[in-house]
Amino acid sequence: MSEERQVRTLHLAGALGMTIFSLGPILYMALTAASRRPDFLSHAAGFEFTVAHFDSVLRTASLHFPEYLRNSIVVSGASAALCVSIASPAAYAVTRLSLPGRVFFLLSVLAVSMFPPVSMVGYLFQVMGKLGWINTYQALVLPYTAWILPLSLWILTSYFAQVPADLDRAALIDGCSRLTILRKVIFPVAAPGIFSTALLAFIIAFNELLFAMMLSTDHAARTVPVGIALFEGLHGEIPWGVVMAASILTTIPVILLTLVFQRRIIQGLTRGAVKG
Amino acid sequence: MRLSFSEVSKTFLSFRGPVRAVHGVDLAVEEGELFVLLGPSGCGKSTVLNLAAGLVKPTSGEIRFGERVVASRDRKVFVPPKERNVAMVFQSYALYPHLTVFENIAFPLRVGGEEKGEIQRAVSQAGRTLGIGDILHARPAELSGGQRQRVAIARAIVRKPALFLLDEPLSNLDAGLRASTRGELKRLQRELGITTLYVTHDQTEAMTLGDRIALLRDGRVVQEGSPEDLYGRPGTPFVASFIGQVPMNLVNASVLEEGGDLYLRLGEARLLLPSGPAARVRIINSTEILFGIRPEHIGVARGIAGSPVAGTVTALENLGREVLLQVRVDGLPLSVLTNDKSIREGEAVALDIPLEAAHFYEKGVG
Repeated sequence: MSEERQVRTLHLAGALGMTIFSLGPILYMALTAASRRPDFLSHAAGFEFTVAHFDSVLRTASLHFPEYLRNSIVVSGASAALCVSIASPAAYAVTRLSLPGRVFFLLSVLAVSMFPPVSMVGYLFQVMGKLGWINTYQALVLPYTAWILPLSLWILTSYFAQVPADLDRAALIDGCSRLTILRKVIFPVAAPGIFSTALLAFIIAFNELLFAMMLSTDHAARTVPVGIALFEGLHGEIPWGVVMAASILTTIPVILLTLVFQRRIIQGLTRGAVKG
Repeated sequence: MRLSFSEVSKTFLSFRGPVRAVHGVDLAVEEGELFVLLGPSGCGKSTVLNLAAGLVKPTSGEIRFGERVVASRDRKVFVPPKERNVAMVFQSYALYPHLTVFENIAFPLRVGGEEKGEIQRAVSQAGRTLGIGDILHARPAELSGGQRQRVAIARAIVRKPALFLLDEPLSNLDAGLRASTRGELKRLQRELGITTLYVTHDQTEAMTLGDRIALLRDGRVVQEGSPEDLYGRPGTPFVASFIGQVPMNLVNASVLEEGGDLYLRLGEARLLLPSGPAARVRIINSTEILFGIRPEHIGVARGIAGSPVAGTVTALENLGREVLLQVRVDGLPLSVLTNDKSIREGEAVALDIPLEAAHFYEKGVG
C-alpha cells in the first residue's frame, strides 16, 4: 500500500471511529425513544417501532414540554445575545486600545469564571428571592450571562486579535469612529467568531441544569434540562421512552442553529484583507 | 495644502520604558509636492506618517495643515483622522475583505454621507483612472497583489484628500510591477496635484519618485533635500552609504601637508588634493579622515603601468550593462563600476580616482 493510501485509510478510520464514538449515545437515545419498551436490547423485549413517546411528550399537557422548550430557547437566546453584545466591545477594547494591565484584566475575568456554580447558587437564590425574580426569565438570563461572559470575551479576543490592525487604521482615516469601525468592519470581518461565540453561549445556557433547577419553580420559566430531569418521579418508574424522546426533540433547535450558522462559522476569517 | 512639522517628537511607552520613535523633527512639505521619507527600518518614518494622519498623537511639537494647527500638545489641539481629510495607502493594502472592490472604494464616501449618485460617479471615475473598472464586483481575496494595490490607491484618491500618505506602498509587489507602478504613481500624483508624503526604505524609490527627500535615522532627520542633493552632497557617511544604487566606498585615509599643498594618503598611494577638495578637507581639521568615492566615479584600466593607485580585482559581478568590480588597493576594499567587460578576476588594474568627486568626513561621526 502506498503511503498516500495508508494516510487516507488512517484518516478515514479515525474519522469513522470518532463519529461512532460521538454518535453512539445519540443513536441509543434515538432507538430508546422510538422503541415501545426501553429494554429493547434484551431477548425478551425486542425492538418495536413507535412514535408514541414523541406523541406523549408533545401532547401531554401536564408534562409542559413545549413550554419548557420555549423557555429554554428564550433564556438561551437572550443570554447568548447579551453575552456577545457585552463581550464584543470589550474584546475590541482589549485587542485595540493600549490599556494598561490588559493581561491582568483578561486573567481576572477568567478567574471569575472559575468559581464553581454550586458555590454561588445558594446566594443567587437569596438575591433572586429578594428581587422577587424567582421563576422568571431574568433570574436565569442574568446569571447565565455573567457565567458565560468570560468565555465569550476570551474567544472574541482571540478572533479580533486576528483582524489586522491596519484595517482599523484604514477605517479611522476613511472617517469612521471607533464604534462605526466595530459595526462596519470588525463585526463583518470577524463574523465567524461572533457566530461561534453566540452559538457556544447558546449551547452552554441551553444545557445548564443547576441554576435553572434552583431558580425556576414551574413551567413559567423552567427549562428543558430541568423539565426532563423531573419527568422521573412524576410516575412510579422512570419513563425512559418519554425522557429520550424529549431529549431528541431538545437537540433539534441546537442542530438547526448549527446548520444555519455553519456556513458563516467555517468561512475564512480575513481572506484578502491584507497581502498574501 | 502645505504640511509642516515643527520640533515634533513622539515617545511610546513600553514595558521596557519609554521609546523615543521621533525626535524633534522639522519638515515642510510644500503644496503639491511629493515628499519622501527615507530610512532603514525602525528609523521612525512610519511614525511620522502616522503623526500626519492623526493615528498617533505627538508628545511635543506642532503639526500644521496649511495654517491650521492639527496637533499640538501645548495648545491642547488634536484633530482626529476623520476630520483631517487625509488618505492613506498601507503596505498591507488594508482592504476590507468583506466588501467588494466597489464598496471598498466607496467606503470613505459612504462614511462621509455622500449621496448615491455621486458615489457611483466618483467610484467609477477612480476605477477608470487606475484601470480597475472591470473588477469592481470582485472581492479582495480574488485579486492579485497588483490589483489590490490599485484598489487601495483608488480608495485613497476617491474623495480628493488634502494630503496623500503612502506607507511603503510598493514593497509587496514583485520587481517588474514595482517599477511600472512607481512611474504610474508619480504620474498620478502630478495629475492630481495632491500634497504627498511617501514612506520607503528603498533608496531607488526615493530617488526616482521624490521631489524632495528626508533621510531619517533613529527618529531624526539626517539630511533633507532634492534627490540630487542627497546623491551629490551627502552630509554624513550614513547618507553617503544609504543613497546610491551601489553603496559609496568609504575607506580610512590620512591627510598630510607638504609645502602648503595637501596630500591624501590612500593605502600606499599619495594623491595631491586640488584646491576644491583641499578646502573641504581643511574644515575637518584632522589628519585621519573617512574618504568617500562613488563606484561609478572611479575610472579603471587594465595594467598598472605608471598609475598612482593600483590594485587587484578580487571579485566581479556582472550587472548586465555594467560590471561591478571589487578591487583591493593596498588592503583597502573599493567597489568600482565599469563598462569594460574584458577585465578578469585576479587581474591587476589601475584606478583613476577623481578627487573632485570625492567626499571627506570626520572619523567616527554618524
